[in-house]
Amino acid sequence: MLLHTERLTKSYDGFRALDGLDLTVAAGEVFGLLGPNGSGKTTALRLFLGFLRPTSGRATIAGHDCWHDSVRARLHVSYLPGELRLYENMTGRQLVQFLEQIRGHSAQRDVDALARRFDIDLERPIAHLSSGMKRKVALLQVLVPHAPLLILDEPTNALDPTMRDELLGQLRAARDAGQAVVFSSHVLAEVEQVCDRVGILQKGRLVHLQDMRELRRGRLVHVRFGGAAPPPPDLPGLGVRERLDGRLTLEHGGPLAPLLEWLGRQDVADLRVEPLGLNAVYHRFHGAEA
Amino acid sequence: MTLTLVRKLLRDVRLTLFLVCLLLLLFQVLWAKITQRITEEVLPQLINDILKDVPITTLLNIIFKGPGKIIETLAGGERVDLTRSSDMLTIGYVHPLVQTIFCVWAVGRAAGAVAGEIDRGTMELLLAQPLPRWRLVLAHFCVDLLTIPLVCLSLWAGSWLGAAIFFVDWSAGQGVGAMRVSPLDLAPGLANVAALLFALSGFTMWLSARGRFRWRVLGTAVFVTLLQFLVNVLGQMWDAMAFLRPLTVFYYYQPQQTILRGKWTVDLGVWNGGQPLLAVPAAAVLAALGLAGYALALRTFTRRDLPAPL
Repeated sequence: MLLHTERLTKSYDGFRALDGLDLTVAAGEVFGLLGPNGSGKTTALRLFLGFLRPTSGRATIAGHDCWHDSVRARLHVSYLPGELRLYENMTGRQLVQFLEQIRGHSAQRDVDALARRFDIDLERPIAHLSSGMKRKVALLQVLVPHAPLLILDEPTNALDPTMRDELLGQLRAARDAGQAVVFSSHVLAEVEQVCDRVGILQKGRLVHLQDMRELRRGRLVHVRFGGAAPPPPDLPGLGVRERLDGRLTLEHGGPLAPLLEWLGRQDVADLRVEPLGLNAVYHRFHGAEA
Repeated sequence: MTLTLVRKLLRDVRLTLFLVCLLLLLFQVLWAKITQRITEEVLPQLINDILKDVPITTLLNIIFKGPGKIIETLAGGERVDLTRSSDMLTIGYVHPLVQTIFCVWAVGRAAGAVAGEIDRGTMELLLAQPLPRWRLVLAHFCVDLLTIPLVCLSLWAGSWLGAAIFFVDWSAGQGVGAMRVSPLDLAPGLANVAALLFALSGFTMWLSARGRFRWRVLGTAVFVTLLQFLVNVLGQMWDAMAFLRPLTVFYYYQPQQTILRGKWTVDLGVWNGGQPLLAVPAAAVLAALGLAGYALALRTFTRRDLPAPL
């Protein structure tokens, strides 16, 4: 496992910002961290980077402890901060070069190709760039080192839809190249688009781990009955999401035939089937916050 | 890695450094002119045309009595002979304006070292790279080692330039008595200047390593420095406060003693009722304070959490 955490906990004056996180992320996997503000996403990412000292538990990257052996751990990481601040007195190229030199790399692999792809003028001072452009420069510096693990804190903030799609494409390409990606986001659609697994955080605790392949197999079945809704059958992978007078919303991840057979025996006035989607899962834990 | 950081830090401070050096140089040139005017024109005229048989020391005693004492204190105390050009020139090294520029440079630069990067949010960008935290402190230490001599040299260059412009036969140290000026004699005092800059920088570095907001660190460091300056000045004027002076960095800032008397030590006699107690090397004490500041900064910074930028 590239990233591994064991009961990772961070407290501030008795307040638990992250509570006993157990997580593993493998090479070639895109992992999404979801949760509302204050749920512990950024705290988790900052612990992975050795910015924060764990109160208890530990995190390792490529076997190196993220606090005690932080430098070796960070050799395997590229990071995009959520609150993006760059050295405004540098040009984009100077920034990328500076950070590469800090990493001990001299070769500027892919810089110009990526800059063209992202439509960035690397010779302009960062102070003169728009926030979206700055974000692109920051993404460039994340992608250039080809680190085994990319950690991105809300990476699509301030990006236009085209650039957002480009970024998601880059993340998929990184996964295909064997890199792992951990990113936090509020935008469920993009998480759904690109992630292999998703962790949902609630008040600092990991409350749900979702395999996206499994989720994509699931569906939501909205049924309106001619009369009162009957009790649902006892079928594998079937759960009731909502029941209201003559309406029933079911979450279904099992074989479809037995459900259709049961529905055929009922007085069904209307039927709608849609993919289950991450929204439904997220809704379970965060309700209207989703 | 450290070299890359040092280059970047030097690039960041180059304009401020240039301005500080220019200001110090220009002030020393101006001070040389003031020295020449006082020692070669005003005082001779005063002695010959106005005072006549009254010794100049009598006049100076009157001027520096009571409230005038503060002027004498700021000029370096009663051991500085204001009728001599070489003594007058050394006041340029302890003048409050010069000390203020020293503080602005040393405190201002070090305040931004850690707290400034956290405040601006750029620390995350930096430490997301495989960069050990100690290297950042080391880079700032190296920047101090490179920039402090430049600041000192600009001060000295100002004295040379001023002497060259305003004094006759300055380079040979010619002239007799009051008119003798040799900027070369000022060189030993630069060690004390450098040590003061390093002490202020080291202390502020420690505050910065603990802090989160640059302006808060800057405010605290400026307050502590000003307080020390004030305590040192008041301690010279008022005996009841004299025992506090060795607790300030400015007590060990004695470039005039080094330049004029070749004395590299200060005595802690104020803790012994004015009798000699222990002579300590002034520049070494300041350098040790600077090193202690850096050591504490290193310890604090390598153990602390880095808060997210606001």
